[in-house]
Amino acid sequence: MKVFFTILICKLLRFVGKLIGKGSSFPGQIALKLCPDILSRVQLPEYIIAVTGSNGKTSTVEMIAHILSKNGKSVAWNREGSNQIEGVTTLVLSNATFGGKVKSDILLIESDERFARYTFKYIKPTHYVITNLYRDQLTRNGHPEWVFDALKDSICDGTQLILNADDPLVSLFGKDKKDVIWFGADKLSSDTETLESAYNDGAYCPACRKPMTYSTYHYNHIGHYACTSCGYKRHDTDYTITSVDLDGGEMVIDGKHRITLALKSLYNIYNILSAYTVARIVGIDGAEIAADMNDYVLKNGRVITFELGSRRGTLLTSKHENSISYNQSLRVASAYKEGCDVMIIVDAVSRKYFTSDVSWLWDIDFDMLRSENVGEIVLAGKYVNDLALRFEYTDIPAEKIHCYEDINEAVSYLDSNRKEYIYAITCFSDKGKFLARVKGE
Amino acid sequence: MKILHMYHDVMNLYGEYANVLAMRDMIIKSGEPCTVDKKSYGEEVDFGEYDFVYIGSGTERGQKSVLADFLPRRDAFKAYVESGKVALLTGNSFEMLGKTITDSDGRSYSGSELFDFTVTEQNKTRNTADAVFTAEFLSRPLVGFINKCSEIKGISEPMFSVKLGLGNCSDGKGEGVRKNNLFCTHLTGPVLMKNPEFLTYMTKLVTGRDVEPNLLAVKGYEVTVRELNARIEQ
Repeated sequence: MKVFFTILICKLLRFVGKLIGKGSSFPGQIALKLCPDILSRVQLPEYIIAVTGSNGKTSTVEMIAHILSKNGKSVAWNREGSNQIEGVTTLVLSNATFGGKVKSDILLIESDERFARYTFKYIKPTHYVITNLYRDQLTRNGHPEWVFDALKDSICDGTQLILNADDPLVSLFGKDKKDVIWFGADKLSSDTETLESAYNDGAYCPACRKPMTYSTYHYNHIGHYACTSCGYKRHDTDYTITSVDLDGGEMVIDGKHRITLALKSLYNIYNILSAYTVARIVGIDGAEIAADMNDYVLKNGRVITFELGSRRGTLLTSKHENSISYNQSLRVASAYKEGCDVMIIVDAVSRKYFTSDVSWLWDIDFDMLRSENVGEIVLAGKYVNDLALRFEYTDIPAEKIHCYEDINEAVSYLDSNRKEYIYAITCFSDKGKFLARVKGE
Repeated sequence: MKILHMYHDVMNLYGEYANVLAMRDMIIKSGEPCTVDKKSYGEEVDFGEYDFVYIGSGTERGQKSVLADFLPRRDAFKAYVESGKVALLTGNSFEMLGKTITDSDGRSYSGSELFDFTVTEQNKTRNTADAVFTAEFLSRPLVGFINKCSEIKGISEPMFSVKLGLGNCSDGKGEGVRKNNLFCTHLTGPVLMKNPEFLTYMTKLVTGRDVEPNLLAVKGYEVTVRELNARIEQ
């Protein structure tokens, strides 16, 4: 009776919440008050797939849901990204019958790194994807090893881990474990032999802290690593990106599945690979997955094309306080052969909490914009001085850089007779201020 | 002049390498040539060769592995400090200079005992905060960010007074510690880049000269002070 009542209340609150445009945490919060162990009292589907990691969670989850739905599976997932316990509770109960049975074939959960250990106490994933561990929002996350320790507590016995073999810290979750599924990339044409990054989080072995060497770097500390001392090294992969042509916009998985890329970033190919891996585990044919992912454009609003006067451009939502996210966006802009101008906005560091910390700017490889493909660079927002100071420590000629504290003035400057394509790079917290001034497509 | 960036590849969690760039450029601006040596585990170091020594923040495990390497260098570093030369240790690097560090498993590590304080780590809550500190030797407050999981007890004369953020321990209002021209603070990241007055103050200690700060750094500092003061008044 309690289960019935709790599910009823949750569904009602969710229904009303949707009408008045409220988020999806509140119904779950109330449900947990009414019945704290509600998640262990409902009947869950055969597949409970959780995805966590610093970057790419939301995109990966969206891709998994897309592929599985296309192949006739019903998927319950937290598309609004409310990935703490309350949001997950709302998701589960909204998809349950009043008798307490979740109706979908697959429950797909994007989970916050810090809260996974609480969520999975009540709801044990059958499969657990960990995409990567980067320097991400360190003002609240501490650092990657701190997040590693928090995630370690979230891994339950009997859950199959699906890990990124190219990330040395993530791979540590699978050390000495037998039933892990590994995904990763072979040596790629875009790889480098030496590290190209302002910092090196792969310098020392995460297992024994002795120096590591890399035979190839995909980006930052993601690549093929081996410890010089304890034998810890990149694991062989079960699902593999075998080649990538970023210019041509194509990737190949497992040597045979070609996928054309709507977004030509290494970031994107890892998200596709992890989605592919999950879909294969669920039993979808590789060729089917590839067909479903061809030219797939994410619907989560992170990549938005726009017009500004006679100019066209793309907004690449990049996470403030996350240098790898920025680096990926800078890489896309710097590789744009037709020539582009780049705008970077740092106005509110976070949309969820206050901080004025800009130390993360020093971890971003802004030198990537020292490319003949990049014309003007427009810096904007409250922290424009910190941005400009950071650019003083690049080899980019000062005359290329234009600074505006006011975002409107910066956009007006860009709304000129120049013909170059525009890449706007900023975060969720600041993108609205830019989009208000351009025509979206 | 010569700068030593010690443990540059481990204790560099929040963009700390920028502190070395900031000092290097101020020394050059003062008219002196300047070189930077980056050193790490096991490398031979003669502190006496240097005019400025810097160590930044690392992870808890990174700090312990660095501590093992640092302990044999303790006397040489102590002599450097006692000679009145300038050093800056930020984040959890300065914890190595106390008596002991006790980690979240209760394991105790001997420190290098330049100070009498003791450090206790926990692994439950990450204590993070924007910070505003004041000091007698600066006319304007210091701004920055704290990111730690430790309590430091036994510092009777802290370097800073906390206006916003976290101090050495939760029941005090003092932060950091100073001995001669060794400056220790738990602020993380590019502290010198963010605080032009602190940088010019230290530059004067290193070079003996007054050097004009970087204009962008001054403008950026004013914005941050404004934002953080608004936070204090809330």
